[in-house]
Amino acid sequence: MLTYLVQRVLLMLPTFLGITLIAFAIIHLAPGDPAELRAGGGLAAGGEGGLSMERRGTVDRALQEWRTQFGLDKPLWMQYLVWLKNLVTLNFGVSFKDNQPVWGKIVERLPATLKLNVLSILLVYVVAIPLGIYSATHQYSLGDQLTTIGAFVLFALPSFWVGTMAIVFFGGGDFFYWFPPGGLYSVDYSSQWPWWQQAADQAWHLLLPVLMLSYGGFAGLSRFMRSSMLENLRQDFVLVARAKGLAERVVIYKHILRNSLIPIVTIMASIIPGLISGSVIIETLFSIPGIGQLSYDAVLARDYPIIMAVFTISSVLTLISILLSDLLLTVVDPRIAFGQRTA
Amino acid sequence: MGKRWMQPFMGLVLSSVLLAGGALGQQRSPGAEAPVTGDWLISHMLSDPEQLNPLTSNDAGSRAVLGNIFESLLQRDPRTLELKPLLALARPEISEDKLTYTFKIRQDAHFQDGRPVTGEDVIFSMKALKCPLVNAPFARVYFESIIDAKLLDPWTIRFTAREPYFLNENVLGGIDALPRHYYDPEGLLQNVTVAELAGDYTKHEEQVRKFAQHFNQSYSRNPMGSGPYKFKSWSTGQEVLLERDPRYWGIGKEGIDQVYTNVRKARIINNTDAALVSLKAGDLDMLSLQPLQHLRQSSGARFEKDYAKHIYATPSYTYIGWNNDHPIFRDARVRQAMTCFTNRQQMVKTVLFDLGQVVDGPIYRFRPEYDESLFSHPYDPQQALRLLGEAGWKDSDGDGILDKVVDGQKIPFRFEIKFNSGNDIRKSVALALQDELRKHGIDANVRALDWTIYLDDIRNHKFDAMILGWAMSVNEPDAYQVWHSSQAANKGSNMISYKNPRVDTILQEYRRTFDASKRIELYRDFQRILNEEQPYTFLFMQKAVTAVNRRFRGVEVLPTGGLRPLEWWVPKALQKYTSQLTAQ
Repeated sequence: MLTYLVQRVLLMLPTFLGITLIAFAIIHLAPGDPAELRAGGGLAAGGEGGLSMERRGTVDRALQEWRTQFGLDKPLWMQYLVWLKNLVTLNFGVSFKDNQPVWGKIVERLPATLKLNVLSILLVYVVAIPLGIYSATHQYSLGDQLTTIGAFVLFALPSFWVGTMAIVFFGGGDFFYWFPPGGLYSVDYSSQWPWWQQAADQAWHLLLPVLMLSYGGFAGLSRFMRSSMLENLRQDFVLVARAKGLAERVVIYKHILRNSLIPIVTIMASIIPGLISGSVIIETLFSIPGIGQLSYDAVLARDYPIIMAVFTISSVLTLISILLSDLLLTVVDPRIAFGQRTA
Repeated sequence: MGKRWMQPFMGLVLSSVLLAGGALGQQRSPGAEAPVTGDWLISHMLSDPEQLNPLTSNDAGSRAVLGNIFESLLQRDPRTLELKPLLALARPEISEDKLTYTFKIRQDAHFQDGRPVTGEDVIFSMKALKCPLVNAPFARVYFESIIDAKLLDPWTIRFTAREPYFLNENVLGGIDALPRHYYDPEGLLQNVTVAELAGDYTKHEEQVRKFAQHFNQSYSRNPMGSGPYKFKSWSTGQEVLLERDPRYWGIGKEGIDQVYTNVRKARIINNTDAALVSLKAGDLDMLSLQPLQHLRQSSGARFEKDYAKHIYATPSYTYIGWNNDHPIFRDARVRQAMTCFTNRQQMVKTVLFDLGQVVDGPIYRFRPEYDESLFSHPYDPQQALRLLGEAGWKDSDGDGILDKVVDGQKIPFRFEIKFNSGNDIRKSVALALQDELRKHGIDANVRALDWTIYLDDIRNHKFDAMILGWAMSVNEPDAYQVWHSSQAANKGSNMISYKNPRVDTILQEYRRTFDASKRIELYRDFQRILNEEQPYTFLFMQKAVTAVNRRFRGVEVLPTGGLRPLEWWVPKALQKYTSQLTAQ
């Protein structure tokens, strides 16, 4: 087991390097110059003073200065090496926008994104799995059809639209003031409140965004669960179990469900990278300062250090989660053993 | 730089950046109650400010916040648009050769920590700005012509400029005073002079490097100046809090703006729909409304009862730029024809929902330089076709597209209009023009590009026609950067390669003229030439709508094209938030 692990981890290294190299190249070679963007396109930089010929030279010099300060004047391969070297010490550099360490900016936004994603993933599982089980055990019944249609209707509704409608109708304004139209805390939120009041306030703020983030996921997972259950329903061991005279409840929840959960467990691991890569649409809609917003703004402003950092973290998490799902598989399914697996 | 009054620079208008500060008038209610302090003002920001360092930040959001915290030597009177002293005692003494400017500063001003504002601080601000390692290259460009600054006595500063230029006073007046003891606690720049920093500072390399690194990194979220509001807190993505400084030096002083609201809170809401809902729910006190929100979502007795809407033209305009080097568009008659094909009145109606005004030149209409007698080319396709005929365009091969022999080669009238994707107004303009032109045998393609790629293309003159905007100066304008032929090269702002020797002469002459009435005459000529040649098809100014809670008094639209929340107050009986700031 240990050799296998070491082998897998060592194999991750070249994969990781390859990923960062390609990402670095794409991000830097994409059109758009962060220096010009910072200068308001260099066009604004003349200001009221107006630009004489030599002053245009000054703008170019200013741009050049700026690039030097952030090491953008070096050849691309050297920039990449510098970036790698810093990465070894977990230094992601500073943001072009405000000179602040990228790591700090990500950590600052992590809690909001984590809260949002953990809750919505939880909600998806809590709703979709029972739904899938129900659909499978009542295959082709009216209930099965209704829940399936319902899940797909939700799946088809774009979250930016539903989210906007929810804000307009339930966020105060002209209709009901049931939920806040955005943000994480109330205007008068204070850390001196008792914990339950703080929690209640946060929950009140998170409810709509979490709902918006989850409802589209019901369809996929419940269908997945349903087909996995159905597959197992047709297996011989089910027949045997029933022939033994086991109660239907035991057949389903003990024998079928356990076997059907195997594929679900493997998807669960692939969720990990999704935990930190926030949702741009929901975060923007509900003004939640999360990672999604941070990386989206960074892409628009060509804030390379932030883009690279978010990208690196999520690719590391992806690699880890792939490994993890392989490991989990052996845990839930004893038929799979390490020895036979070659990477 | 100079947030209060220099902000309407001739810059590209980036979609939402327009609002910020400044403020024309409805009448000041005469004989009304005297202003009182108290209450909060909760405003809206679409995204976080970049950073709150007055030198290294370069965005409208930061400027809007910092304008409350820092003060400059001079300021623009928001109503008369005249320069008037703020930290200076008076406007500067200008030498005979127009190269040195001597400011005397007030001795009663102090920073928010109680220490006095001295000449030393002003010199330090200049040093920090001039220091090549400080990450403020774009602010530095404004002060490029200032080559030295010296302290004559603790309260007198003399600046030296490289060349005579009538806007130098304006530039110098915009220097914000940064407290030296706070931004350079170790006194690293003490022994370095402004001239050295502007030129060769190798002698002090070590110190300068150390200072710059500290300055760049450590002051992005903790500004401290001499202004009426103190910085309190900033929670990323949520809010920026400012608190009225009860010890502000300017309280009760003649000629200094008094402020009344105790707390200024800017809430960051990334979504305009949610912002409107927040306003209606009472969580915002003012909000800039989108055109459709203004038309459809903000009427009715309930809204009217709580909010007053203020509508004003913002000092900026949108235009179609014709590449003057292009074989089709180098003929002025063709450009005139294009303007005649453009139904600008109709565009204001349908594209801007009537929230706009047609413009015919680059000068802001409240400026004395503005020429009232400019001819406004009407929508007139017949006249346009006549002009094209004169210019030699006809459909000689019967393929439905006009053509002409240019430089020995027959070319069809086919071109591309570029604009930045995501800007719906520009897109609608392009599509409307494309439709109109198609009826007359002109084939125009419309192409949306990502902002950075678009910028790159137009700066390299890689376009036939493009749609863009410029801010208009509410102060004395200087159109040199956009219209002088020298600015066509080197990625300058004359992106359309407009070249007219007479215009060149006028623009150069204007910059050296210190007599305002002469400058006005020069610029009237300039506007008439542009009007004749139509290098741009000038389209329109947009109007902004801001809803403000009715409990505020003193709310008025100023000639600078906006509102000035700094002046607002709430009568005691109507005050909504009575609490002081709690520790958050």
